[in-house]
Amino acid sequence: MSTRYNQFGDMLKLLLGVWLGTVMLAMFLWVPPHEGLGNLGRIIIVHVPTAWVTVLAFLISAIYSGLYLRRRRPEHDDRALAAAEAGLLFSILATVTGSVFAKAVWGSFWNWDPRETSIFVLLLIYAAYLALRSAIEDDERRRRLAAVYSLLAFITVPFLIFVIPRIAESTLHPNCALLATSNCEGVTLGLEGSGAPKVSLLGERKVELLDIQERDGVAIARVEVTEPGATSRAILEPSINQRTGQPVEMPEIGGTRFRLKLERLEGERASLNIEQPGSSGLLRNSRTLLTFLASLAGFTGLFYWIYRVRAAVLGIQGRLAEEGVL
Amino acid sequence: MFSPSLWRSTWAILRKDLRAELRGRVAINTLLLFAITTVVLVSFRLGPLGISRDQRAVTSIAVLLWIAIFFAAMSGLSRSFVAEEEAGTAPLLRLAASPAAVFAGKLLYNLLLVAVLEALVVLLFAALMNLRVGNPGLFAASLAAGGVGLGVATTIIAALVARASVRGALFTVLAFPLLLPLLVVAVGATELALAGAGWSKAWPELRLLAAYVLALLAASLLLFEQVWEG
Repeated sequence: MSTRYNQFGDMLKLLLGVWLGTVMLAMFLWVPPHEGLGNLGRIIIVHVPTAWVTVLAFLISAIYSGLYLRRRRPEHDDRALAAAEAGLLFSILATVTGSVFAKAVWGSFWNWDPRETSIFVLLLIYAAYLALRSAIEDDERRRRLAAVYSLLAFITVPFLIFVIPRIAESTLHPNCALLATSNCEGVTLGLEGSGAPKVSLLGERKVELLDIQERDGVAIARVEVTEPGATSRAILEPSINQRTGQPVEMPEIGGTRFRLKLERLEGERASLNIEQPGSSGLLRNSRTLLTFLASLAGFTGLFYWIYRVRAAVLGIQGRLAEEGVL
Repeated sequence: MFSPSLWRSTWAILRKDLRAELRGRVAINTLLLFAITTVVLVSFRLGPLGISRDQRAVTSIAVLLWIAIFFAAMSGLSRSFVAEEEAGTAPLLRLAASPAAVFAGKLLYNLLLVAVLEALVVLLFAALMNLRVGNPGLFAASLAAGGVGLGVATTIIAALVARASVRGALFTVLAFPLLLPLLVVAVGATELALAGAGWSKAWPELRLLAAYVLALLAASLLLFEQVWEG
């Protein structure tokens, strides 16, 4: 019975290795470069699943903490601890992959974007949970108090994940589809006498419409863009094909991959918006979507495996300690 | 749940803690000295003649105000439960009162300390940092909401760390992630109040603070019994 179970487990383990290996190969060889981000867009295959696993681990840890408080069975605490340890590992992976991407695309490793803030707090919570455990000698008390802390954290974290991104003025993450912030609508500027303001804020940047020119059916808006804190300014010339309504030029904004887009032109009024890299459908390509889903399944499987092995080891340790071997 | 005897024991615990505090004055001295140190240090370079004169410095002032409140709270508010464990009186308290009364008594005690602390920090800021408040009602509301959240969180976390080793360091480590959402929003609300924004503009922040406090209070009341167990 147990050998057959072990054989089955070994096969699953092997399958998981082959599966994740295939996903990694597909990520670099099979997935086409993203329209806006180029090769940088490939990071989504690793970054998003690790972030998802971090949240999943947090959920599992809280559920088993609650179960422990109710039933007081040490196995439940072992599972809560195993999930938290795996969660710490994956939250570090998500933070590092995201940070590398942020440097390449947004210009700095860390921006205190709402998503970055929430993963940072999850990291702190995992660390605090493990610190609390290491500071209590008595087994039963350690389990009980750690479970209480895990549940307290579980109550307060949703405030970060769901609420702060909503009230924040801007987010760098491509999530206008999920969360409508002030960035998503863009601004309408006008020349003098048109009734619309000449200067406004687009996200954190100041934009000023200088003039509008027309050449062969293509309208060009000359816009001065000033970075936050007036550290630098540049004159950009986004343009639009007036017959089709399609943008022609979308110049990049100072050192980032954000592009300035002229969305509409009515008389002397120009509607401007920031085209976020990735907001034009990171997963629209079917190969990318398939690899992404396979990666999501693979990372979830990897997490589950780590979590089960660790919980089993903790269980054996506990029993050995009870019998006085350890 | 809130029977007359519960009120009586809550009141008795609050009075006992206040009397002990007035005799030793450990928590209040720590809180006040910490707050004074922080504000004086900040004021040396940014104070009456520094950037605090600038009307646009409201963001910096709001952040510094909450830094002073938060770190002073971290230094003194764990006393409520740690003192019981150090003096060995916790088992007696377990026999004498129900867990709900103990939690409520300690919570009221911590809330009083937070109120004293906030009043002092605001006075110091008024004297040393050119504190100008555009909307006093909103300023009071944001301090009150943030202060209640701080009081609830420190009460339950003090109970958690009371029987661990390295309590002082652990207290801050455990409190910070739980309090970060509260502090971020409280700083935002305070900033709006200093800048003189209307109530309607700060309404989302205040609502968020209230929701946070209620959620944390409900969770703490439910979980405290498990923490307080002998």
